[in-house]
Amino acid sequence: MKTLKTSLVAVALVLAACSSKPVEKPEMAGSLETIDMGNHPPMVKLADPETNQGHVGRKPRRITVAQLRESILTTTGRQWSQINNLAASLGQADYALTVSESTEANLVFAKFLEDGAREVCLATANADLNNATAATRVLFPNVTVMNRDFTTMTDAQVQDNLQYLAVRFWGQRFNDDEVGAWTQTFRAIATRAKAVNQPAQAWGAMCVAFMTDPRFITY
Amino acid sequence: MKKDLSHSRRTFMKAASGFAGTAMFGGISFKAFAQQAQALAPADHCFVFAYFGGGWDVLLNLDPRDPNEFTAERISETRILPGYSLLSQDPTYPTMPIQPAGSNIAFGPAVGRFANHFDKMALVRGINMNTVAHEVGFRYFLTGKEPNGSAARGSTTATEIVGQLYPKMAAKPPVPNLAFGIETYNDRYDGYANALRVSSSNDLLLTLAPSPTALDSEIEKQLIDMRGKPVTCEAQLYDSRGLVGQYQDARKQVRTVLEASLDRYFRFDSTTGDPPAVAMEKSQTVERYRLRVGSNGYPNDPRNSSAARAALVATALKKGVSQCVSINIAGGLDTHFGTQLTQANNQRAGWNALGDLISDLRESTHPGGGTFLDHTTIVVFSEFSRTPLINASGGRDHHITNSAAIIGRGVKHNFVFGASGNVGMSAGVVDHNTGLPNPKGFQYLPDHVIATVMASAGLDYSIMRVEPLKGLMAGT
Repeated sequence: MKTLKTSLVAVALVLAACSSKPVEKPEMAGSLETIDMGNHPPMVKLADPETNQGHVGRKPRRITVAQLRESILTTTGRQWSQINNLAASLGQADYALTVSESTEANLVFAKFLEDGAREVCLATANADLNNATAATRVLFPNVTVMNRDFTTMTDAQVQDNLQYLAVRFWGQRFNDDEVGAWTQTFRAIATRAKAVNQPAQAWGAMCVAFMTDPRFITY
Repeated sequence: MKKDLSHSRRTFMKAASGFAGTAMFGGISFKAFAQQAQALAPADHCFVFAYFGGGWDVLLNLDPRDPNEFTAERISETRILPGYSLLSQDPTYPTMPIQPAGSNIAFGPAVGRFANHFDKMALVRGINMNTVAHEVGFRYFLTGKEPNGSAARGSTTATEIVGQLYPKMAAKPPVPNLAFGIETYNDRYDGYANALRVSSSNDLLLTLAPSPTALDSEIEKQLIDMRGKPVTCEAQLYDSRGLVGQYQDARKQVRTVLEASLDRYFRFDSTTGDPPAVAMEKSQTVERYRLRVGSNGYPNDPRNSSAARAALVATALKKGVSQCVSINIAGGLDTHFGTQLTQANNQRAGWNALGDLISDLRESTHPGGGTFLDHTTIVVFSEFSRTPLINASGGRDHHITNSAAIIGRGVKHNFVFGASGNVGMSAGVVDHNTGLPNPKGFQYLPDHVIATVMASAGLDYSIMRVEPLKGLMAGT
């Protein structure tokens, strides 16, 4: 009897696998906004700092080299050319000589991340500048660029794009105070980028700021 | 990267008040922070681990024998043949052991300028390596713990030292543990103790040099200023355990390192763009270590030679870049088939470089008082030694009895601990309190040597599971 049941299940699976009818995929547009999970169970309330030695939640962690590799690729669409060469110095274990991954946010990591961010961000910004299709740009998809000059953007446009990048790089939006400060910085950088005729450095430098921010490398 | 920072205002206020006194980033610009940052300063106690790769012939360096006593006619009795006469093709090699005036130590003919520093070192002779396999002996000495098979057990000694000392240091070196062309392991400390492993000086320069992709200087300044802007209450709360602060400190250190243009000091082959003072300092280094290719009789490649590595060690210690530097100072010593001269030449390059390094350290003033050598412990080792008899191919094979040199702080000076046997250079049996041969004494292993180095620095050596060699330690 048991053998018969097993055979029937196997036949059913084979028939299903051979079916020529394509599997329908649910249509889901990609979104960087948070998704309403509907009946998701309520989040566990964080401990009161008074009962948790002044802390809220668990200790933040630095991302591993594998996570960094994926994060750079996901956020910019390109890879840092040196990440594999420098993986050991960034903390990746080889399980021969080093048996534990280092997730220390130390000098070597900070320095190499800065190098990597500059390489990737400026390349991305340059590619975006040469991309006439605004929607497929990575760093400023919704910005109308006139003569490669970003100083003409309004505060609202700058803030919209900064919020977009914050979600893209960190998975969270700025609060109002912080976005104001970043807007000021962007304005100064955009003015300078125009003056030295280096338009890619406008959003490229902001990309470096996002990628080297603690929110990018911790979780 | 997804943090839930949507806590109640009450929660923030409670936590923020809890650590307001310790996490005051707000309102202080990055520049001000950088100015407050402690400038790079050399560590109070520095360490160098210098490795001779391939298994050295101790008859040529630290455990010589008198060829008039250990003659070819007596080898059936002594099982030892110094073979110094085989070096006679090169008249710069003495054919007898060297003993500088005032020295209690006799050296083999290949030690070159290293012998000049007899008054600052102790030798350990007759160490039982328990192995004649390269990886095993090498990893045994690196860790002070006998490997499991050929797999290293535990952390390298340099990692142990940094692991114990770094958290207590006020001025933290940016690359506390530097391993140049050498293996390094960390099995129990956080990432701060991991060595920066470099296979060439280029790798180190990558860390110390400005980013290859430059931003406009004004834009760069804007970024630096923005990073110093006040952080939000949420950010402070998120960092209540310090990881973000640690990262901010690391970025501050990056600025300090870049502003000091430390990479200049390690570019021994060029003075282009150097300020006069830096150029002068580098020219002294170049002279001292004879770093020039094919001119003025200076044979040493400024990027990849024993001398260049020794210069790198000295620079890393003196500039406060590192506290522990492990280095493969010489190689090509596995001379089963090579001549005695090949072994001697390859050794001498390393010994001369070490001699120059020691000269440099003993002539340089440490900010903590005294010379750099007073603040530095140098351990020189190889995985094992070579057979005291020459094989049929004119080379020497692997031998279990080894020697090591410890120079500088923590050990007795102008002193020899232990001895190998006069028959077949067997491992020594000594009184650990005196280092004198004693048939009722004990053998000693790399564990004992490393435990002594740790103990003499006031560090916890319990992981070695042996007691240090008290007779070797300074002040005993």
